Amino acid sequence: MSFRHLWAVTKKEINHILRDSYTLFLVLFTPTLLLLFMAYALTVDLKNIPIAVVDYDRSQISRAFVHQITAGQDLDLFAHVESMDEIEHLLMKGEIKAAVIISPKFSQDLFSLQGVPLQVIIDGTEPASGGFAVDHIGLRAEEFINDMLKEQFERRGVSLASLQPIDLRIRTWYNPSLKPRNDLIPGLISMVLGMPALSVALTMAHEREHGTMEQLMSTPIRRTELLLGKIFPYLLVGLTNVILIPALAMVWFKVPFNGSFPLFFFLSAIFLFAILSMGMIIGVFMRTQAAALALSFLLIFFPGFFLTGIFFPIASMPEIMRMESLVLPGTHYAVITRGIFLTGIGIETLWPYAIMLFGLGIVFTGIAVLFFRKKLG
Amino acid sequence: METDQPIIETRDLTRDYKEIKAVVSLNVSIPSGELFGLVGPDGAGKTTTLRLLAGLLDISDGSATIAGFDLATQAEEIKSRIGYMAQQFSLYAELTVVENLLFFADLYDVDTAVLGERMNRLLAFAGLTDFKKRRADKLSGGMQKKLALACSLIHEPEILLLDEPTTGVDPISRREFWNILTELHLRGTTIVVSTPYMDEADRCSRVGLMFEGKMIMCDEPRQIKKAVEGDLIIIRPDDWQKAYKLVNTLRGIHEVQTYGGSLHMIVDDAQKRLPEIQKAFKKMNMSYKDARQAPTRMEEVFISLIKRMEE
Amino acid sequence: MLKRIWSLTVKEFIHLRNDWWLPVFMLFGGVLELLLVAWATSRPISNLPLMILDQDQSAASREIVTALEKTGTFSLYAYVQSFDEIQDALDRGKVNAVIIIPSGFNEAIATTGGQPTLAVILNGAESIPATEALRAIEGVTREIGEKIFIKKLGLKSQDLASFNPSLRVWFNESLSEAYYTTPAELALMLEFTVLLFAALAFSRERELGTLEQLLVMPFTSLEIIIGKSIPVIIIGFFDFILMLTMIHFAFGVPVRGSIVLLLVLAFGYLLVELGKGLVISVISRTQHQAFLLVLLIGMVDFMFTGYAAPVESMPKVLQTIANIIPAHHWLVIVRGIMLKGSGLDILWPNVLALAILGLIIGSASLIYIRRALD
Repeated sequence: MSFRHLWAVTKKEINHILRDSYTLFLVLFTPTLLLLFMAYALTVDLKNIPIAVVDYDRSQISRAFVHQITAGQDLDLFAHVESMDEIEHLLMKGEIKAAVIISPKFSQDLFSLQGVPLQVIIDGTEPASGGFAVDHIGLRAEEFINDMLKEQFERRGVSLASLQPIDLRIRTWYNPSLKPRNDLIPGLISMVLGMPALSVALTMAHEREHGTMEQLMSTPIRRTELLLGKIFPYLLVGLTNVILIPALAMVWFKVPFNGSFPLFFFLSAIFLFAILSMGMIIGVFMRTQAAALALSFLLIFFPGFFLTGIFFPIASMPEIMRMESLVLPGTHYAVITRGIFLTGIGIETLWPYAIMLFGLGIVFTGIAVLFFRKKLG
Repeated sequence: METDQPIIETRDLTRDYKEIKAVVSLNVSIPSGELFGLVGPDGAGKTTTLRLLAGLLDISDGSATIAGFDLATQAEEIKSRIGYMAQQFSLYAELTVVENLLFFADLYDVDTAVLGERMNRLLAFAGLTDFKKRRADKLSGGMQKKLALACSLIHEPEILLLDEPTTGVDPISRREFWNILTELHLRGTTIVVSTPYMDEADRCSRVGLMFEGKMIMCDEPRQIKKAVEGDLIIIRPDDWQKAYKLVNTLRGIHEVQTYGGSLHMIVDDAQKRLPEIQKAFKKMNMSYKDARQAPTRMEEVFISLIKRMEE
Repeated sequence: MLKRIWSLTVKEFIHLRNDWWLPVFMLFGGVLELLLVAWATSRPISNLPLMILDQDQSAASREIVTALEKTGTFSLYAYVQSFDEIQDALDRGKVNAVIIIPSGFNEAIATTGGQPTLAVILNGAESIPATEALRAIEGVTREIGEKIFIKKLGLKSQDLASFNPSLRVWFNESLSEAYYTTPAELALMLEFTVLLFAALAFSRERELGTLEQLLVMPFTSLEIIIGKSIPVIIIGFFDFILMLTMIHFAFGVPVRGSIVLLLVLAFGYLLVELGKGLVISVISRTQHQAFLLVLLIGMVDFMFTGYAAPVESMPKVLQTIANIIPAHHWLVIVRGIMLKGSGLDILWPNVLALAILGLIIGSASLIYIRRALD
């Protein structure tokens, strides 16, 4: 392989990018901008979820109960209503996310054999707030009983060390506050750093659409030289972002960085190699840029978002999808990113993922070279 | 390589594309240093032929040897020995003249020691020296073609394959372009050039006439013109449609071709027929601007041959 | 005028047929993708790898482990013997949670005054599964704790407040995750499809130099705009119906409200996104630019669809901005009609907002595009 040929292609490509300042700006900063948007959109801490209460009991106890539930920041008492109809109406309008219905015999049946049913209706159409409401209402209800019970037993002179017989000692590693932001952002970073692949998919189709491919193919340039030469500038773009974006994340979002940056840089380069060559495969097969970008959206962007385990654990996916996610470089890179940012692990632990990424890169490049023919039509 | 071996030789070279037979059993043998012209109507297969020879298309059947290498199996060796110029502008719009040249110089592994001087020479040759730093998309059509030619020459190839290099170019540039080609030809470069212009075909050592994928004639221009027997009479009538009808009833007229408002007639004997024609016109009260005998051009021969093929 | 628009539209379709990859990908690829992604992400969080260090090896510890497995949230990864193995597994991100059952657990449970404890280590590097894991673990310990509690206190059950929060989930009977996420995924796919197609409309012609040709033809700019829009609208609408049908039959996502209303509003929303896309296509000189802009704008919109967090939880500033994002209103409408069976009486504010936004975006883009074309 001739370095001179490779470098000629890279130089040309760089000139091409640099001379279109509008596109250059977009290519360089889309990852950063995307990260900003997504980080804000997807890592919102839930609070102030509005709920309504229908209290058919209206006793001191039920009022205390309502108070318990809505104390604090998590749940907001939107309204104290009189009927189920009103509840239905409010839920329909989306003004409340959950409703608690206190039955008339609440305070009476509290201490009866069968207990008291507490009806909680949640708006299941919103993924996060519904579950959140359920949890918190459940928790508060729990606290309430426990307090009541404690009171009861103390009155009878029985002391119980703990009403919750099993004491859970919980420790959370790497992200003590369990704030979604801390682990989602490294995940988003891993996704966003792969964006240059979309541009790579376009570059071959661009040559075909503009007719320069014909002249290019009449020269003795080799396929590998052409493909790698075209990937290289985007590798540089990617690496620039590898420096910029974590810096942004740390400064702006205060995400911790517990690992080694040189290692991160090195592993990111391997990731870029893998995902850029994935983009190149698309470029090799598509004749027009429109088709290339549609396909790269479908195969790189969309799966990169949903199937790489950033939001949704891969363990919970069906078998086939789990296997598919293995083929996506983003999956492995997400583990690496999280590992270096949050866990602070090093190459001793991460090497399998590095190997996997490198292997994917070789396979993808191989496929691209194999299927790229220096022929028209 | 022996000098009596043709530098380009095809044997039943065929290219099918879906149901279309773009090139059918092409047999042509071009000796080194020849300036070979490829003519034919649109869709005749000229571009396909050039692309095949440049190794840009798969061969459906047959074979070819170029510069001693087999086209089917050794296309990459061939590529470093040829210069190709596509029909559409195929260079990089946002790169400058120099950058385009350097790019191709790199791809053809031109020795860097001679590159600077060679590039200056080529720029002068192509008249582009003053436009060195200009972006390729800011050049005029003629300059773009010249740049494309320069890029195909940067490695001083033995063979040039040019696909309609002067189409869409102003007459002055066209003439300059052909001066360049003639010079290259004199220096010994083998050139295969396709062209729609018959006057250009006239300047070639040999001309190959293609029609519907087949080569129907391949000879020196002089010989080709002999293919059509008879003399040529040109007349410019005021009402050419009526004139056309009239002329077709006269004796001794082999063929009538229309060129804008003129009629080009191929007759058995111009001396005899010219006065007859003039008399016939007068008799019908049809006026004309001018009537004379003229030497048969490639154009007429070409159209005549095509017409025969179509029948 | 209609004839001219018709001929333009036909021309567009011919172009599309030549480059048939594009609509095929976006249509069928999009639908397929939606199905796959929905399938992958619509299951409740489950099979989370769980590691156990059982220092007690008793009936009680086995009971805990069995109960944990029964929740379906966990999949037993390994029983280990040492803390080192735990450290390693957590560092490698191999498990989401670790339970350490200390020796003496069984005893502590059996005797009065015993203090049974369980140590839990959560892998915070994946917070979403971790939260889910914690939920499941707490649920299990609560249940077992209740049983123990009852046993310890003898049969004084009448002293107990067995307080069963009974959860009747209003809109999602089965609490199926698919109902939560697929409408948002559907909306995202639709938006991107329409935006992409529309964004390519003019930028492509401009890049390849054919725009000039188009402009010298005897079409008014309005006719050109309509001619280019019609294929996008047809494809977009067809796409919507296709995806809707798919998620209904594949995941059982219902349409509890009026389908007609849904389709009408979908059409309206399409037009709004079309407007946005056309503006993008006019300000972009190349398809590459158009594409990147579509991604950016699409993701900004996505932010306001409440996929991972409801808009109400966002800072006030963002909440106000959400009101001018068409996608936000569209999601409310989609969820409302499909999952809640809401009608215009409930949804009118959103429909009104969408209509107003549509008018503004629509006329602004028309003016802008006409100006750009002339």
